[in-house]
Amino acid sequence: MTQEPDLREALLAAVPGLRAFAISLAGQVDRADDLVQDTLLRALSNLHRFERGTNLNAWLFTILRNLFHSEYRKRRREVEDPDGVFAGRLKVHPEQGSHLDFEDFRSALFELPSDQREALLLVGASGFSYEEAASICGCAVGTIKSRVNRARIRLAAMLNVEDVDDLGPDTMTRAALQG
Amino acid sequence: MTGDKGNKLPRALPRTSLDGTLGTRAKLDDGSQKRIGDQLRAMYDELMQQPVPDRFKDLLDQLDKKKAGSQ
Repeated sequence: MTQEPDLREALLAAVPGLRAFAISLAGQVDRADDLVQDTLLRALSNLHRFERGTNLNAWLFTILRNLFHSEYRKRRREVEDPDGVFAGRLKVHPEQGSHLDFEDFRSALFELPSDQREALLLVGASGFSYEEAASICGCAVGTIKSRVNRARIRLAAMLNVEDVDDLGPDTMTRAALQG
Repeated sequence: MTGDKGNKLPRALPRTSLDGTLGTRAKLDDGSQKRIGDQLRAMYDELMQQPVPDRFKDLLDQLDKKKAGSQ
């Protein structure tokens, strides 16, 4: 069975999205690229399981996510690498837009529990629907929705972007402090 | 101790109600949600625009050749 050339193109076209997701999950470009490579290899050896006409991207993201989680569980048993933290390692292309804003955002993103982070990345950045994200993560749509919502709220609190006025208790507190 | 109203501030900060189970019912206002979304996409776009490393092109090329050669 030969590979159709358009499949190669489709896989190649999926790489930037997979990399962005992998980097945002793993926090390290090296590790992320290994994840993407393993994802492509696994996809190619399991092509017979892919249903033509369904969403290739969602299928690839599912593979990558599962690889990440099984590898992560494995790594947690190993000694923690203090140099491997996200903030220090993501400076791959500092010349391409060294936005300090992004640094803040990235560190906040990595403060999130990983299930919330991945849900937010899939829905808010990778462009998947709640339903697709639920299928990628193997959970209920409602679970994804609540993870995304909690992720946004936590980020807003960490980055202080929220308009505090809509929170009753705080308005009362400020009134009390001013009074 | 009821007279001690010295330091209630930490408990009254909004983030105490934002964590944990209460977070599922809380909802961000549209403006904050948009700002979070914009920052997320901006960060992501930067990652998406990075050139695809050659190793992936090589990998897919190699597999093409291997398949063709094994026929």
